[in-house]
Amino acid sequence: MEPLTTEMILVMAMIGVAVFLFIAEWIRVDVVAILMMVTLPLLHLVSPKEAFIGLSSNAVVSIIAVIIIGAGLDKTGLINRLVNPVVRVAGKSEKRVIIAISLTVAVISSFMQNIGAAALFLPAIQRVSKMLKIPLSNLLMPIGFSAILGGTITLVGCSPLILLNDLLEPFGLEPFGLFDVTPIGLALVGSGIACFVFLGRFILPKAAKGAEETDAQASETGSFPVLQEVFELHTPEDFTDYRDPVSVGDLRRRYLVNVVALTEPPDFKVLSPGQEVQVRSDIDLVVFGPEENVRRMAEGEGMLLKDRIETFKEDIEDSASGIVEAVLAPRSALTGKTLNQVNLQERYNVTPLAIYRHQETYRAEIGDMVLEPGDTILLYGSWRNLLVLQKERTLLFATPEDIELMRPEKAMFAGFWLTVALVMIMVFKIQLSVSLMTGALGMIISRVLSIDEAYESVDWRTIFLLGGLIPLGIATEKTGTAAWIAHAVLYQIGSVSPIVLLTVIGILSTIFTLVISNVGATVLLVPLVVNMAIAAHADPRMAALVVGLATSNSFMLPTHQVNALYMGPGRYRSVDFMKAGLLISVIFIVVMITMIYLIYGV
Amino acid sequence: MAIITISRGSYSKGKEVAESVAERLGYECISREVLLDASRRFNIPEMKLIRAIHDAPSILDRFQHSKQAYIAYIRSALIGRVKSDNVVYHGLAGHILLQSVPHVLKVRITASLEDRIAAEMARESITETEARSLIQKDDQERRRWTKSLYGVDPWDSSLYDLVIRIDKLTVADAVDFICRAAGRPGFKTTDALRHRMEDLDIACRVKASLVDQFFDVAVTSEYGNVIVYTKLPERHIQKLKKKAKDLKGEIEGINNLEVHAGLPYPPDSV
Repeated sequence: MEPLTTEMILVMAMIGVAVFLFIAEWIRVDVVAILMMVTLPLLHLVSPKEAFIGLSSNAVVSIIAVIIIGAGLDKTGLINRLVNPVVRVAGKSEKRVIIAISLTVAVISSFMQNIGAAALFLPAIQRVSKMLKIPLSNLLMPIGFSAILGGTITLVGCSPLILLNDLLEPFGLEPFGLFDVTPIGLALVGSGIACFVFLGRFILPKAAKGAEETDAQASETGSFPVLQEVFELHTPEDFTDYRDPVSVGDLRRRYLVNVVALTEPPDFKVLSPGQEVQVRSDIDLVVFGPEENVRRMAEGEGMLLKDRIETFKEDIEDSASGIVEAVLAPRSALTGKTLNQVNLQERYNVTPLAIYRHQETYRAEIGDMVLEPGDTILLYGSWRNLLVLQKERTLLFATPEDIELMRPEKAMFAGFWLTVALVMIMVFKIQLSVSLMTGALGMIISRVLSIDEAYESVDWRTIFLLGGLIPLGIATEKTGTAAWIAHAVLYQIGSVSPIVLLTVIGILSTIFTLVISNVGATVLLVPLVVNMAIAAHADPRMAALVVGLATSNSFMLPTHQVNALYMGPGRYRSVDFMKAGLLISVIFIVVMITMIYLIYGV
Repeated sequence: MAIITISRGSYSKGKEVAESVAERLGYECISREVLLDASRRFNIPEMKLIRAIHDAPSILDRFQHSKQAYIAYIRSALIGRVKSDNVVYHGLAGHILLQSVPHVLKVRITASLEDRIAAEMARESITETEARSLIQKDDQERRRWTKSLYGVDPWDSSLYDLVIRIDKLTVADAVDFICRAAGRPGFKTTDALRHRMEDLDIACRVKASLVDQFFDVAVTSEYGNVIVYTKLPERHIQKLKKKAKDLKGEIEGINNLEVHAGLPYPPDSV
């Protein structure tokens, strides 16, 4: 066995420091990565060029491009159209939502980059979390893990498996078919999801209160404890017979329910109708209010409460309209006036739903309240109208920070450029980063999103986390540390039965993939294990397959791209990954070895 | 299906009319019961309530505000009694306390002063001068009471749907008129009006529960959505808010309760 050099010891020390800092969280994970980027060249473990090569690496550029493509798809509402049916099937149960989205993401991830699937779904998952009031941290980890596991369903699902056949070639071994790994992959995905469904509450982090105060979306519901939900109702044909006419204002006063849209015969749609508008017979109306009040109204006034939004589906969609908190600025022109005098409904076509003042929510007769600086008004309206109001600067919009105008009309372009990118990858085998950047560029040129929006959509935490870990991987390989560890381990175990050997290879690959990249681990380990297997009279193809699969077993540290991506939005800490990841990793190895044993009879 | 209030001066045969109307229509006839209810419900001696509703507020009352509290109690008790309909109320101040209820048939029965004096002389066996001064004093007291608390004159005929003077018209004539008027569509209780009575009942209960601590509040209720208006400055209303919040669980029918400060009291508030 080779002697241990100083450089190797230094690299191992750096890995130790990085892992320690990931766990201790004295500084944020992305800062740890930058620390590595700077320290490694200073210690002469990598060249200065190599230190920053990560930022221009295929993987990082691909991720930047995928995030931009994802933002474009989200802006046009394409992902929503895919997620909505999935969520509808799942209903409101948290477990079923997790299963449904996880499966969808896993399937998509089986034929495209895991990080791509994960990034594309992130905005949609955030929305589902808000809509169904499921903490984001309960959704992201299971879904992220499924995206990683889904990569093992086909041979093109993740980079290690794509590489695998190339690595087997020099040994003259028979290449794997596209779907050879499918049974194993499916078993892995199934066991992973099952683990979260049955043990989720033990392994998932509790939704901390910290998440609320930092998450702008959550604080919106936090400050308005009376939750406003949207419902569509229908008035019967005899609604106005034998009774006093009912106006929008009447419904508001009687049930504290806000009518935000109604139809006028024959087929006009009125959005944000004024208080005096009468509710006629045989029309549809959309209301905002607590469910309890809406049900009381439906019963009291003899209206039919629909299961879902039908007539106004497009107008009420998240992409077209929404709720904002608007704060009355000091010296605002509205100070001292009442909402009735300001008449937001007439002038801007937005509906005030409630006023929040001095820790108190006011919903009744808010039109008469004299506005004071600091009052927060909950407003509903189409984004377009809200934007007009925002530009007046009499009200400061608290949430969402920037009103995004969705561009559903650009959905065709977004879909087209996604297809172009995918075709470039799959058919023409052009490098991932180039193909994806082409797609991203296409979206910008066809104005699916502006270049500034594209820049804003990129999460720099993810970029630097990945970019910083890549030189660590380079250092591990270059100094021979990785090879030394592999040799040492294989030397230690000596000659054992094939199953034990495969298990050890699995564990080794898992550890390697956590520290150096999955691709790096594969490149490094496959030649080694093939030799080892031949020496131990085990099937070298299976040994290589174990490496290819187990390099996706990257759950214990946020070093995998998908974990790094979801860490920020999910407000996870490294400990959270260790807790859930350890269990999933153990199950991964057990399931993988069992499946290989069952299918290939090793 | 109606609510009838009969307002009367002393010795004006109003009680007789009320009882006959109630008998003819099969309605309940109430007067003192309301005070008993209020006395029982709020634990106030009946005498104090009578004085509150009969005598004009003294200088002392202006500081104590107990009169407002008593009136809120009586009003709450009265609404509780009449909201179920088919009632003739001939107690004190009915027309004032039920002023905001549109379908109440408000009747005033008067009699000529000479007749009233004669009746009083016969009942109390006193001289004519004494009787005259007593009746005039009584009338004046009532006048001052309604004026000081509600700013209206009970002798203003525009407060009533019907003013009948028992002199040439007999008690029986008056009963006829009233019974016919009660059948007119304007006095019919509709669904909307029933809701309004429920709301008035809730508003009065809320006010009655608050008034001993916060005399200057106004309460509205629409379909159980109660708003308590106060002129207290924002920083002083925490106690009121807390108390009001507690009421939500105590008084049946409240769906939502909010305290709004610094706004003019709506005209239909109690």
